Amino acid sequence: MATDVLSAAPSPGPVPAPAHAPGAGPGPAAAAKPRRRIRNRYLRGLMTPRGIIGLALVGVLLGAGLAAPLLTSHDPNFQSADALVGPGSAGHLYGTDEIGRDLLSRLLYSIRTDLMVVLIAVPLGLLIGGALALVAVTHRVADVAVQRLFDLLLSFPSLILGLTVTAIAGFGAGSIVTVIVLIEIPSFGRMLRGAILVHRDREYAVAARIGGAGPLRLLTRHVLPNAADPVVVQVAVAMSVAVILEGAMSFIGIGIRPPDASLGGMLSASRPYLEDHPFYALGPLVVITALVVGLNLIAEALNRGARR
Amino acid sequence: MTGYLLRRLPSALGVLLLASFAIFFILRAVPGDPVATLAGSDPSPETVAAIRADLGLDRPVLAQYGTWLADVLRGDLGRSYVIGGEVSELLSQRIGKSVELTIGALVFSLAIGLVLGVLGVTVKNRAGQAVLSAINAISLIVPAYVSGFLLVFLFAITWPVLPPGGHVSVLSDPQIGFQYLLMPALVMALPPAAIVARYVKDGLLQALGEDYTRTAKSLGIPHRRILWRHALPNALPPVLTVLGMLVGTLLGSAVIIEAVFAWPGLGTLAEQAVTRRDYPVIQAVLLFMVAVFVIVQLLTDLAYALIDPRVRLR
Amino acid sequence: MPVSSIFTSRRTVLRAAGAGAVALGLAGCKSAVDEKKSSPAGASGQPKKGGTLQIGSLTDFTPALLFTQNAFTAVHRLVFNTLTSYDPKTLQPQPQLAKSWQVAADGKSVTFQLREGVKFHNGRPFTADDVVFAINNLKDPKRSAQLRATAAVVQEIQVVNPLEVTLKLAHPVSNLFDLFEFMIITDKDSVEEAVTGKKLIGTGPFVFKSWTPGASLSFAKNPEYFIPERPYFDGVEVRIIPNNDSLVSALRGKQVQLAIGLNGRDVAPVKTDPQFTVQQYDTGSGAVYVGANVTVKPFDDKRVRQAISYAINRERIVQQSLGGFGLPSSAPWPKSSPAYSDATAKRYPHDPERAKALLAEAGVSNLDVPLAYLNTSTVIAQMIQFDLQQVGIKTTLEPLDPAKFQAQLIGQTMPALWAGSHGFAQLHPATLAVSAYPFNEAKNTSKFSDPAYTEIVQKAWRQPDADSPAAKAAYQDLSEVLLDRQFVIDLVVLANLYVADKSLQGVGQNTYASLVLDDAYLA
Repeated sequence: MATDVLSAAPSPGPVPAPAHAPGAGPGPAAAAKPRRRIRNRYLRGLMTPRGIIGLALVGVLLGAGLAAPLLTSHDPNFQSADALVGPGSAGHLYGTDEIGRDLLSRLLYSIRTDLMVVLIAVPLGLLIGGALALVAVTHRVADVAVQRLFDLLLSFPSLILGLTVTAIAGFGAGSIVTVIVLIEIPSFGRMLRGAILVHRDREYAVAARIGGAGPLRLLTRHVLPNAADPVVVQVAVAMSVAVILEGAMSFIGIGIRPPDASLGGMLSASRPYLEDHPFYALGPLVVITALVVGLNLIAEALNRGARR
Repeated sequence: MTGYLLRRLPSALGVLLLASFAIFFILRAVPGDPVATLAGSDPSPETVAAIRADLGLDRPVLAQYGTWLADVLRGDLGRSYVIGGEVSELLSQRIGKSVELTIGALVFSLAIGLVLGVLGVTVKNRAGQAVLSAINAISLIVPAYVSGFLLVFLFAITWPVLPPGGHVSVLSDPQIGFQYLLMPALVMALPPAAIVARYVKDGLLQALGEDYTRTAKSLGIPHRRILWRHALPNALPPVLTVLGMLVGTLLGSAVIIEAVFAWPGLGTLAEQAVTRRDYPVIQAVLLFMVAVFVIVQLLTDLAYALIDPRVRLR
Repeated sequence: MPVSSIFTSRRTVLRAAGAGAVALGLAGCKSAVDEKKSSPAGASGQPKKGGTLQIGSLTDFTPALLFTQNAFTAVHRLVFNTLTSYDPKTLQPQPQLAKSWQVAADGKSVTFQLREGVKFHNGRPFTADDVVFAINNLKDPKRSAQLRATAAVVQEIQVVNPLEVTLKLAHPVSNLFDLFEFMIITDKDSVEEAVTGKKLIGTGPFVFKSWTPGASLSFAKNPEYFIPERPYFDGVEVRIIPNNDSLVSALRGKQVQLAIGLNGRDVAPVKTDPQFTVQQYDTGSGAVYVGANVTVKPFDDKRVRQAISYAINRERIVQQSLGGFGLPSSAPWPKSSPAYSDATAKRYPHDPERAKALLAEAGVSNLDVPLAYLNTSTVIAQMIQFDLQQVGIKTTLEPLDPAKFQAQLIGQTMPALWAGSHGFAQLHPATLAVSAYPFNEAKNTSKFSDPAYTEIVQKAWRQPDADSPAAKAAYQDLSEVLLDRQFVIDLVVLANLYVADKSLQGVGQNTYASLVLDDAYLA
């Protein structure tokens, strides 16, 4: 059920094909000089039409969000009497919302908010999920405990998790980050646990162990770099999941705190005006879709690059 | 096989028990309680105390948990504090509506997936293939609220032929009910449709490579006939298995879809119950969702075990 | 009864609806959105008997709140009756289950003669014992009745005979008949099943058949209703449609003939459509306000609170967030209230300069405080925040979900400022001050207490005759003290809206916004 709003995530549930099948790992030749090879493979993956389109979509939006203060002279929170004016009128390039705020600057600032949430939450999820995976591979009992914890986290639909966390911790970016982290933990954790288990028993790791490498050195120098493939791909997927989830939470009214603009919040606010002012909904719809599609293209490109 | 099931069962039950414990205690850590909603807009301290005692909320939390768990094991889910009515009745009504939506979505995803999958095999030119894979990718990744908004805009506003939301039971009024079902079921069906399409395409390609199809071809049987009469029936069983596994995913995506289309299913019930702190209802809904997840996982593992005997030995 | 306004004009989009349905191949089929041929509307002025009224409601019935005024209004006056009912224009009580009554000259007792031959839906005759039960029931804290304070004034109940009952009061109260308008008479033996929504037994025009949570309620005509020839409808079905545009669409698709609970913004798409009538009642929907916690500095200074009142642009809230429906007012009263006056409503015009001056006078600068609000009214909260910022009061918005908001409201744990809405201003003014929590003189969310306020409230409440010049003067004093102290800063008196198919006639509501369908019919 982990894939509810995050229908983008192609892996954690029981359903789709085993995308992170360990078989895709590099051969022994690659293992000799892991690092340089990895960089090349990913780069080659990204330098395909798929990867370039993805990078362009995300890059343009990222740039627009970061450069928001330069691109618009309107304060995103300034309200005026010109409510719901159409694009181009009263000095508003993309019109205004129901309380007379400039929609373009709100849209640009909402990308910022979104990216901030995503860029904090995904690495945090990776870190905690990874740490748990490391704990899991140390001992059988720890493994069972960690796996049950993953099951538990996966078994709640993400929005229900969102509602509960928000009810406890209050509204705002903090709650969204928490929810995203909680959802990413099992997907990163399961993936890393599986990868570590597989690579730990590969010949090069065994060879290194015989050659006197300690467990930590073994892990950091030999196992983790080789287990990184699915993780790099999953980071891109997780980012798109995070974008979707932020939108969904703000959409049902438990997201970013007003008056700060957020993509889902704008979308949900635009609903009553869909008939008379459809342009209002168009902006957030396009941006969310572009971000999600872009991030998935990047993930796909990385995945292909890694398998080559 | 039974042995394998027996070995897997304790951990499934463990997750359920763990979940029930987590749900119960986390809920009580949430600020605000059902009494606030029940006490109306001008309550005196006596009102609040009387209601709290009436609901048994003045007892220690652990004792409350014990009572609740014992009741649940006896099959008694209790009575809703705020929404009203027996929790079991509430739950079964909403499950009915969620099932209606889920079945609709399954049918759609099968239909769309079959069409896309078969096209994936029959369309030969590059442009066509590119369009197909784009459609596949888009339906897999576009968030439900985005596709929902687009459908509402297209078919409820620009070209108003369908209601933008709400629910009329298909059983009580099939014609009207179907119109209410169409958009939410379609939105829900999109991501699984893409997955089905992939399985259909892979299955077809595999079947078309098998001996019997090659033989049929050499006998001069038309390609179309081979595809429909021989390859497709062989590609279907794994697709149906996948579809079964997708049920859990669909139930999860229900929350946002129900919010977009005002569909009064389980997700809406969960949202109502959480915002009003209707403890017995939240506990039952969440426990049900966890149970569905656990069962689906168990069945999935079982299916894998059936396919691959090595799993059983692990 | 209503201060109603009916908007008409044409809308083209519905035309397309019919065409679209045909194009989709639904011709000849029923469509959930299609505009059917309009009924041969209202040619005859004669009420038509029979048929089932379909109502769409945004909110669901909450049986636990049966004895509390709440958002779901389509049950109280369908299944039940009250002893008396107000003429909404004059607030003069009219007979309902009580035929006649006499209030003692000192205002300390009232005797009711009850209507004979009235039966509950289960066949049991209605008697004085049911009145006794109803009053005691409202006194029960578990029932959360907002008028409990007034019910508690009834010290002793004497049943003179099965059709006559005398209530002895601890002291006279001016809002006594607010209680009898509020108090539904339920079958005393099934009240526990009533508050769980299983069985609702009253004497009203419709018999409760069933409630499916989240979906629908259904009612059938009461053939033995005590008003002859009423009701006209054979039945009433209420469908719960918890989404504004879906409700509007159900109305357009003729699946419901009446939509309740919509706000001004939602009705924009239908308000100019001749197919529909929009009725606007200024009673019963309450008012939007900003509350101040007077224990938080500098809000202990009334000049700061007055500055807030000057800072907020009430007119803009009505226009931008309420679709133009509602009365911008600095006083809580709707126009029908005996306490209403134009002067009090306009006491605090939008005047940022005046607000800044008051803040300067109070020596306040660089304020940065939290502003809590119910997460369903985001737009109004943002508008208040913006207006306050313009005069130099910075606020951080704190959205609260309904359970948390309510808990903080009644637990007196609101931060410095909060935005909410209150009811009970449509009745006798004293009811507001003893029954609406933000105003309660004994204990309120603002933690405001002032002997002068208490004295004025008690004086207004203890008037033996609600219409005497003394009472009117007391209401005026109440208005003045509220406007001066401003611990509750009223912004907009909300309008209660009914959007109905134009063939629906005779829909009414009582002063508590409960839907009355005694005289309703489809022309």
